[in-house]
Amino acid sequence: MAELKVNREESLVEFAGFKFLLINPEDGLSVEKVQFHNAVIIDGNDRAFIRQIVRRIRSDNQPDIYLKPIFILKGININDPFVNKLVDGTLFSLDQIELIIPEVERILTKTKDLHFTNSLSFEAQMIEKTISFMYTCEIQDLEPIPYIYSSNNYSYPILSVNFRQRDEHIALDILEIAEREGIFDSSYIDRIYLCPSCQGGHLTYREVCPKCGSSNSTTEDIIHHFPCAYVGPLSDFTNEIDDQLDCPKCNKRLRHIGVDYDKPSVLHECKACDHKFQDFNVKAKCLACTTDNLVEQLKGKEIRKYSLTKKGELAAINGFVSTSKDIEEIIGTVKFETFVTMLKYEIERLRQTEGASNICAVHLSNPSQIYSKMGSEVQKVLLKDLVKVIRSNIRSSDIISFQSSSTIILSMNEIPTRIAKRILSEIIDMLKRLIATTFKDIDVEFEYEVIKLDYKLSPQLHIQQLTKAFG
Amino acid sequence: MFEELLDNYLRFLESLTVEHFIRLFWFYIFFEFMRYFLLEFFVLNLWKLSKLWNKKKYAQAKKEFHFEYPLVSIIIPGKNEGKHLYKLVQSLNEQTYKNTEIIVVDDGSDDDTPTIGRDLEKAGKLDVFIRNEVRGGKASGANTALRFTKGKYIVHLDADCSYDRDAIEKIIIPFYLDKDVAGVGGNVMVRNYDESLVTTLQAIEYYDTISIGRVVTSYLGIYRIISGAFGAFRADALEQVKGWDIGPGLDGDITVKLRKLGYKIKFEQEAVCLTSVPNTVKKLTRQRLRWDKSLIRFRVRKHKDVLIPNQAFSFLNFFAFLENITYNLLLNFKWYFYLGDMLVNYRSMLVNIIITNVLLYTLTNFFKFVVYSLYRARTNASYTYFLIYIPCMVFYFGYYLRVVRTIAYIQEFFFKQSYKDPWNPSKTSVHAKKMNL
Repeated sequence: MAELKVNREESLVEFAGFKFLLINPEDGLSVEKVQFHNAVIIDGNDRAFIRQIVRRIRSDNQPDIYLKPIFILKGININDPFVNKLVDGTLFSLDQIELIIPEVERILTKTKDLHFTNSLSFEAQMIEKTISFMYTCEIQDLEPIPYIYSSNNYSYPILSVNFRQRDEHIALDILEIAEREGIFDSSYIDRIYLCPSCQGGHLTYREVCPKCGSSNSTTEDIIHHFPCAYVGPLSDFTNEIDDQLDCPKCNKRLRHIGVDYDKPSVLHECKACDHKFQDFNVKAKCLACTTDNLVEQLKGKEIRKYSLTKKGELAAINGFVSTSKDIEEIIGTVKFETFVTMLKYEIERLRQTEGASNICAVHLSNPSQIYSKMGSEVQKVLLKDLVKVIRSNIRSSDIISFQSSSTIILSMNEIPTRIAKRILSEIIDMLKRLIATTFKDIDVEFEYEVIKLDYKLSPQLHIQQLTKAFG
Repeated sequence: MFEELLDNYLRFLESLTVEHFIRLFWFYIFFEFMRYFLLEFFVLNLWKLSKLWNKKKYAQAKKEFHFEYPLVSIIIPGKNEGKHLYKLVQSLNEQTYKNTEIIVVDDGSDDDTPTIGRDLEKAGKLDVFIRNEVRGGKASGANTALRFTKGKYIVHLDADCSYDRDAIEKIIIPFYLDKDVAGVGGNVMVRNYDESLVTTLQAIEYYDTISIGRVVTSYLGIYRIISGAFGAFRADALEQVKGWDIGPGLDGDITVKLRKLGYKIKFEQEAVCLTSVPNTVKKLTRQRLRWDKSLIRFRVRKHKDVLIPNQAFSFLNFFAFLENITYNLLLNFKWYFYLGDMLVNYRSMLVNIIITNVLLYTLTNFFKFVVYSLYRARTNASYTYFLIYIPCMVFYFGYYLRVVRTIAYIQEFFFKQSYKDPWNPSKTSVHAKKMNL
C-alpha cells in the first residue's frame, strides 16, 4: 500500500506517485504553484475562501492550471451550486486520498489527449477552455444553473467562471457561437431578459406613472352611478357618517352593484406629478446600472442546455480553431509555435555565447471586460494597434507573438535585462496613452513581465515562468 | 296633361289677390317667412355689424387668451371608435393652440379600440386613454373623461369628426369675450356631403340650421344646444352641474343645465368641425327620431320648470324654450292643421296651392343659400355644387323631416320611446325613466 506523505510547510501531499497541492487560507490565494502538481486539495472551512480559490484555478488561462482536479478537504457542505460544478470531489480526511486517485488518474490521462491552438480569438479561447474541461471531466452537457450571484440569473459554471459577475452575459454569446460552429447541440430551458445598457439580468419590475415614471401612486375604483351618470372615484361616494355610498351628484344611496351602479375601471393617481391614469407602464429597473427600461426595450435571451457534439469532442482533443470568429494573424507577429522554436534556438545560442537575452510579456488583465465592451471586431483593432506600438519600439530582429488573445510575448535579445525592463515599461506607458486617446470608454489594465533567458531551462519553462503571475 | 296643368296654374295665379294669397299661404307667410327669413336676415345683419363693432374687443380677448395660455382638456368618449382615432388625434395634434391634453374614453368597445387607443397613448399622440370594460353610455363616458381632466376648459368632441387647425383656439376665445359664458358650440359641417343625395341635403341643412341658424339664436341669447361633436365648456361650470346626464339628447340637456345656472351659451361660427352624417335615409331617420325625441324628453318633461315663473326664472331661458317648443313642436302640428284647412276649404285648388308652396319655399331657399353665403365663415365645398340640390330641400325639410319629427314626438310623448333606445344601455335608461330624467 502506498504511503501518504504530508508536508504542510511546502503545502505538498504525496500519494501513489501523485503530488497534491494542499491549499489552505494561510497560504493566501496564489494559484501559480498548481501547474507543478497533479491535483489540488483545498483545506479549510471558509466557504468564501474555497469559492475564490476554485474560481482562480478554473478561470486561469493555462491548461495545466485550469484543468487540474480539485478536491475539498473536510467535506464541508458547499451550498454554492456554482462551486459544486467546478470541483471534482470531497475528502473527509487525507486518509481517504486513495479514493480519489482513480479520478485524478482519469482526468490527467484525458488531459494528455488534448492539444491547444493558442487562438487569438477570445471566443475561440473560451470555447476551447470549456470543451477541454468538459472532455477531461467527461461532462457531456453544459447545463445552466439558476444562480443568484450571476448577473444573468443563470450560470454555466465551467464557462461563466472566466468572467466577472457583471460580464457573464458574454457566456451566452460565446455559447451561441459555439453552437453555430457545430461544437454544441442545444435545447431550450428558459428565457431571460437583460438590461439593454449593461446586459444585467437583475431587474426590478415596477408599475410606474406613464407620464413621469414614478412608482409612487394611489389606486381607487371608479364608480359609475346609473341614474345620473355620475362617474368618480370611490372616495367621492363615501360619506363620513356611515359606511354607505351616496352619490355626490344626485344624493341617492348606492345600493346594489350591477343594478344601480358599477365599477367600470380604476383610477391611479401619481403622487409625484398628479397625473391620473388607468394603465401603468411597466418598467424594469436594472439593479446594476440603475437604468429604468421599458419592458419592451429589454433584451430577450434564451437559456439553453448545450450538449457536446462529436465535432465538439474532436475539437476538444485537437484544439479548437473557430472558422468564423478567429482572428487572423496580425502583421508584425509570428505564430506562437514559431516563437517557441526561435526561443529554443536563442537558448541554444546563449549556451555557447553566455550573452544576455530576455523574453517579455504584456498581458491584458481584464480581457473579458474588454471583450464585453468592444466585441471581437474592435478588440481586433485594439490588438493590432498594440502590436504596432510595440513593433515600432523594439529592434527589427526581436519578434512578437501572441500566447493568447490577452497575452503578447516578445523577445529582446542581446540587451541587459535592466534595459529591457525599462524599454518595456516605456512601451506600457505608450500603450496606456494609446488606449486613453483611441479607446476612451474602455478601461484596459496591463501587466507586464521580463525574464532573463537561462540556458539551463527549456523554452516552455521560460514561458511558464514569464506568464505565471498573470491570472 | 302638363299643358293643362300649367294652364290651370297660370289661371290660378292670375286670379290671386293679396287677401287670397294671405289666406292660402298663411303658414308660409306668418311662420316660415317671418321667422326663418325676415327675422333671421335682420338678426344676421345686426350680428355682422356687432362683429365689426367688436373687432377690437375680439382682438383683446384673443390676446388675453394667449397671455393666460390655459390648459384645454379635450375629451373624446365613445364606443367602437378606434378606426377614427388616428385621424382625429392627427387633426388635434395639428392645432395652432398647443396647450392641450387629449383624453379618450373607450366605453366598453368590442372591437380593436383598446389596442389602438393604448398604442396612441404610448406613442404620445394622446395623453390619457381610459378603457371601461363595461359600457356605461355616452354620458358616463364623458363624465369618466372629466375625472381625468386638468384643464380650465373642457372641449367635448366626437371621435368621427375632424377639426380645422385653429378650431380649438377659436372655440375658446368667446370665454374671454364675456366672463359669463360657460359653454361655446362649434360650427359643424358635413364632411361626406358628396357621398349621396341624403348627405348632400344634410350638408345644405347644416349650413342653414347650424352655420346660420345658431349664429342667430346665439346673438338673441336663446342658443340652446351645444353639439356633442364640438363643444367647449368651462371646467368649473361643468363641475357645478356635475357633468352630463343620461342621454339620448345629453348635449342639449347640459346646455339647458348651464343656462339654468345663469350662464351664457354662445355659438362660434369660425370654430369649424367636419363630421360624417348618415348616408342612407334609413340611418338618417333613426338618427333624427332620436334627436327629435329629446325635445319632448328634455324641454317638455325634464326641464319644464324653465317655463314656470319661480325664483330661478330667466326670461331668456323661457323665451329660448318657448321658441323651441313653438317652432318645432307646435308649428309641426300647426302645419297639419294648415294642411287640413286647405283640404277642407280649398280642395279644388290643392294642387295649385302645393305647387305655389313648393315654389315659394324653393325661391326662399335659393335666396337664403346665396345671400347667406355672405354671412357664413366658410363652407367646405363649392356653393355651386349645392345649387342644383336646393329644389329638393323643400321636400327634405317640409315633408320628410316634418313627418319624422311628428313620429318622434308621438313616440316620445305617449310611449317614452327614448328610454328604450339602445343608444343608451338599458341599465341606466331604466333609472332615468323611473326618475323622469
